[in-house]
Amino acid sequence: MPGVPAQVQQFIDALVSAPPLEGYLVVGAFLFAIGAWGALIRRNAVVIFMCVELMINGVNLTLVAFADYLPGAGGLGVSYAVLVIAIAAAEIAVGLAIVLAVFRSRRTVNVDEVTSMRG
Amino acid sequence: MQTVGQQLIITAIPALPALVFFVLALFGRLLKESAQYVAILGVTISLVFSAFALLFVAGIVPGGGAPIEFAVNWINLGAGGNFSMGVYIDGLAAVMLVVVSFVSLMIQLYSGAFMEGDKRFAWFYAVLNLFTASMLGLVLAPNFIQLYVFWELVGLCSYLLVGHWFEKPSARDAAMKAFIVTRIGDAALFVGIIIFWATTGSVAFSDISLAAQSGFIGGSLFTTAVILVFVGAVGKSAQFPFHVWLPDAMEGPTPVSALIHAATMVAAGVYLVARTYDIFVQSPTAMLTVAYIGGFTALMAATMALVKRDIKRVIAYSTVSQLGYMMLGLGIGNYTGGIFHLYNHAFFKALLFLCAGSIIYAMNSYNLFEMGGLRRRMPITFWAMVIAGLSLSGIFPFSGFWSKDSIVASAYDEHYYLLFGMALLTVFMTAFYIFRAIFLAFTGEPRTQGAREAGESPGIMTGPMMLLAFLSIVSGWVGIPPGLGIPIPDYFAEFVHPSEFAVSTLNIEEPSFSFVLAAISVVVALLGIGLAYALYVARPALAGTLASRFSWLHKFLDKGWYFDALYGATFVRFAMWLGKATRGFDRNVIGGAVSGVGRGATGTGGLLQRLQSGGVQNYALFILLSVLIIGIVVGAQYAVIVVGLIVLITAAAFAVGTRL
Repeated sequence: MPGVPAQVQQFIDALVSAPPLEGYLVVGAFLFAIGAWGALIRRNAVVIFMCVELMINGVNLTLVAFADYLPGAGGLGVSYAVLVIAIAAAEIAVGLAIVLAVFRSRRTVNVDEVTSMRG
Repeated sequence: MQTVGQQLIITAIPALPALVFFVLALFGRLLKESAQYVAILGVTISLVFSAFALLFVAGIVPGGGAPIEFAVNWINLGAGGNFSMGVYIDGLAAVMLVVVSFVSLMIQLYSGAFMEGDKRFAWFYAVLNLFTASMLGLVLAPNFIQLYVFWELVGLCSYLLVGHWFEKPSARDAAMKAFIVTRIGDAALFVGIIIFWATTGSVAFSDISLAAQSGFIGGSLFTTAVILVFVGAVGKSAQFPFHVWLPDAMEGPTPVSALIHAATMVAAGVYLVARTYDIFVQSPTAMLTVAYIGGFTALMAATMALVKRDIKRVIAYSTVSQLGYMMLGLGIGNYTGGIFHLYNHAFFKALLFLCAGSIIYAMNSYNLFEMGGLRRRMPITFWAMVIAGLSLSGIFPFSGFWSKDSIVASAYDEHYYLLFGMALLTVFMTAFYIFRAIFLAFTGEPRTQGAREAGESPGIMTGPMMLLAFLSIVSGWVGIPPGLGIPIPDYFAEFVHPSEFAVSTLNIEEPSFSFVLAAISVVVALLGIGLAYALYVARPALAGTLASRFSWLHKFLDKGWYFDALYGATFVRFAMWLGKATRGFDRNVIGGAVSGVGRGATGTGGLLQRLQSGGVQNYALFILLSVLIIGIVVGAQYAVIVVGLIVLITAAAFAVGTRL
């Protein structure tokens, strides 16, 4: 496409071409790190669950990216990601039930106050 | 050569009492007092079979006339050699078999009344039979290993029987003392056996003798091994310096004392020396040791018996003394005399103990000074004890005379004048102490109410006593020396004689009978009896005066030359110190190490406990850190930067998190 400045052409090419694997991995790592950070510092059990979901999805993204870039794997990574999503749904169901039970008995969802397992 | 049936009969001699032991040990609680009938049946059959063995070896049974010998392979070590289990019966073993089973039978008959009402009646009979079985097995043994097995069994049984009334602390201590003191000898014996086995490759008596003759073992090593075997015999036969256990063993029931002293246990030591005589004669040093230990023990134990107040202890020291005689006889080369004395001694010593038991049964006291005047109330016991006493003193023609005279005379003939003097002095003291006991118990006025009310024991007790009294008179008549001029051949010497090899090695003449020596020993014995009469019947006050005049001597003898005190201050004390040191080491070092490990675990746990804060997010952090560490370890070479980044983020997150 003539007439287009070289820098613009480069930018368009970058947008059009398939993103590199590293891009997905960095995003996945950031998702995971944000999730871990949140899971470690937030007091509210429900928010911790949301952060755990972030971590799970960071990993899922990594799985899917690898599945795309490694054709020899035969899509195994994708099916694995589906499995993780299903498991995560079940986990959330159980986890929220636990949080509800804790809330019923203690009137709080602050994890710092739930320390009856202290050794 | 004997048939298989005859071999079975021989095997049954020790096997039957052993079987009785198992039956009584298993069903004793059901049988209770009727256990005695089972036991007596077993030992009677054993006696009959033993008599058969005697007749077979003597050649009266067709096909006999030679030693019985057969064996089966027991342990096969391949190239390491093998051990056989077998039977060897010559004249010596045959006589011992009959003596052991006969004395055991008498004692088992007697015990039925003596032990009546005892709460472990059946167990008593069971162990009595095991004791008999072990001794019979020991007598049959043709090699050291088999002998050692039965040797230990005999020791075990004596422990069990001496401690039969283990509720009494003194009985418990006496049992342990008997076991430990004889154990020292047993250990020495075992070392001796190992030396023989290592040097000759065999444990059979005949093989070792042959090996020594042909020079496989000799010199000081051989002498050491022989003396070690003799130390075993010294422990078992309660010779100096291991005599201390036997008087204490009087804590057991009196029939047990009779059995230990007459036929089993202490006879085992003398029997061992006689059995291995062909080995002993090859070491003149060992023979001299045997003779002098025997002579010294005879004299020493006789002096201890002079002043004892306990009737059983008088007889116990008498046994030590008489065993010394036997050792003396063997040591100076009078094999037949030594064994003849063992054989005669079995009858009169069993009888003495049964008499003492009869007195104890009648008046429940062991103290001679609480008795007195029992002659009228217990005539059978009195006469039996007088016969046994005369036999023990060696008065013509009672059985003890023949064997004792033979030993004393051969000490003179072989020019052992010191031993001859010791033996003669012992004759004097023997006569004195046994008649002192008889006079104190049976003559004069009753000294206590118990003695006034005493009555004769039941027939089941006096019956065996009368039989033994008869034997105490006549048992010596089978060994009348040819020099006496009585036309009865010396059956015993024909039957029990040292091997030709031993005779030629020792190079001694046939012991000849000397009227002068016999007269001297009888006169000396009569003097002893006369002195006892003078001191305890004619002028009883004199004895007390003498005792207080020479109170230091009296005390010295009464304490048994302070041997117990000496051993207590040295060996026992050292053993106790060692025990305490070991206990201290166990408690402080080993126990400290164990509890230190425990305390360490507790402490570490206490530290780690703080990690269990209960906070979910802390746990999550630990999980994350752990995963990171694993990641670092596994993928360090690829992902150092990535991981470092994640660690940084996590650490930052943690830092922020703790502040929030």
